[in-house]
Amino acid sequence: MYGAKSSSRSTGLFFVLCALMLLLAMLSQQVWATGARGAARSALAPLEQTMTSAAAQVDRVVSIFGDVSALHAENAKLRAADEQQRRQIVELQAAAKENAHLRQALDFQKSSGHRLVAADVIGAGPDELTRTMEIDRGTADGVKPGMVVVTGAGLLGRVREAGPHAANVQTLADPQSRVNVYLSKSGLQGTVAGGQASLALDLPHAIGVTASNGDWVLTSGVGGSYPRGLVVGEIATIAHRDTSTSDLAEVAWVNEPANVSFVLVITDFTPS
Amino acid sequence: MRRIAALGIVLALALAQVTWAPRLSIGGAFPNLVLIAVVVIIWMYGVRAGLAWACVGGVLLDLTASGPVGPHALALLAAAYATSLWARNLDRPNAVHAALTAGLGTVAYSVALVVTDGLLGTPAMDAGVVVRLTLAAAIYNAALAPFAIELIRRLRALVRDAPETA
Repeated sequence: MYGAKSSSRSTGLFFVLCALMLLLAMLSQQVWATGARGAARSALAPLEQTMTSAAAQVDRVVSIFGDVSALHAENAKLRAADEQQRRQIVELQAAAKENAHLRQALDFQKSSGHRLVAADVIGAGPDELTRTMEIDRGTADGVKPGMVVVTGAGLLGRVREAGPHAANVQTLADPQSRVNVYLSKSGLQGTVAGGQASLALDLPHAIGVTASNGDWVLTSGVGGSYPRGLVVGEIATIAHRDTSTSDLAEVAWVNEPANVSFVLVITDFTPS
Repeated sequence: MRRIAALGIVLALALAQVTWAPRLSIGGAFPNLVLIAVVVIIWMYGVRAGLAWACVGGVLLDLTASGPVGPHALALLAAAYATSLWARNLDRPNAVHAALTAGLGTVAYSVALVVTDGLLGTPAMDAGVVVRLTLAAAIYNAALAPFAIELIRRLRALVRDAPETA
């Protein structure tokens, strides 16, 4: 189909375009390019929002057939109620250890005591190797890079970049993500690292205390990156390692990014 | 005019990629619509067109993700080039060629993305997870590519006689 000349021209074009894209990547990584990058991303946000709304409409139309719609709604309602109750139980367990008076409120906003900005999720990462999501609030709404993002169920991630009317959230599933946590029952402290299906928790050994399955994992506030007491997940499995100084646990994250459509950004907590 | 229409289609695919495609996730992988489009463009319109649209589609994908603009464009360029190595010696692809090049393109895309992220100092996922997700995505894209090529072939047949307005 192609002659040798055409083939060599294509190879040349490939290398030229690669060099240009690499240069673009390096330039766009600079601090001075952040504003332009954010503005360009914000320009796409309304289109993303429209597509997401259209997808939701299609979901609705499809689910009308048979009793699927009713079952979906009931399932969603039960799941929401279950998530809320699970969160309330964990928060109350943590509260009993710390301060019963301060943590009796069941509503997330009241119990956390933070100022929150609600946002819709308008897009996900472009491929399965990118663990981010796009939300429809930006610097114009008080959202800034570094701010913590939660859902009704618990911690979701943090704002990585913010444009005027949209922001990009790095979820806990991102391999770069690290959160210092403690366990609600045993009180052990460790660090949760991002992972694909479940999160990995590294727990240093402590004398006389061991973690067990079902123990709830909450942010410890150590390091100042996240406020203390946000629910991260529940220990699903734990591998006790006698030959190591720490145990490795798998944490079942309370959030499933694919199902998250609405988030809350904590705007009054500044990571140190 | 046709270029503007093509840009509109690539933009729509990039937006569908970050809004609709994740809803079709199987085993953590979901179809890469822009990559499939690039593979189809190479088979139908040639390597140079494929490389050019890989750049455009990649930049659009980068604008929907965080971090620098360019890694997804580089990844799509790698996928396009890998496809072109196969397409060079064939005039008309059958379903098997289309599927295999989409699968090969997906592998090239993932490898290029991981390497670019490494070059730019962005930590990558665990290697085992990357391999598993890449294989799942390759199978997914390979399954869809023949249908995409057939769809474009039929659409092209429909508009072949349409007058060029610009």
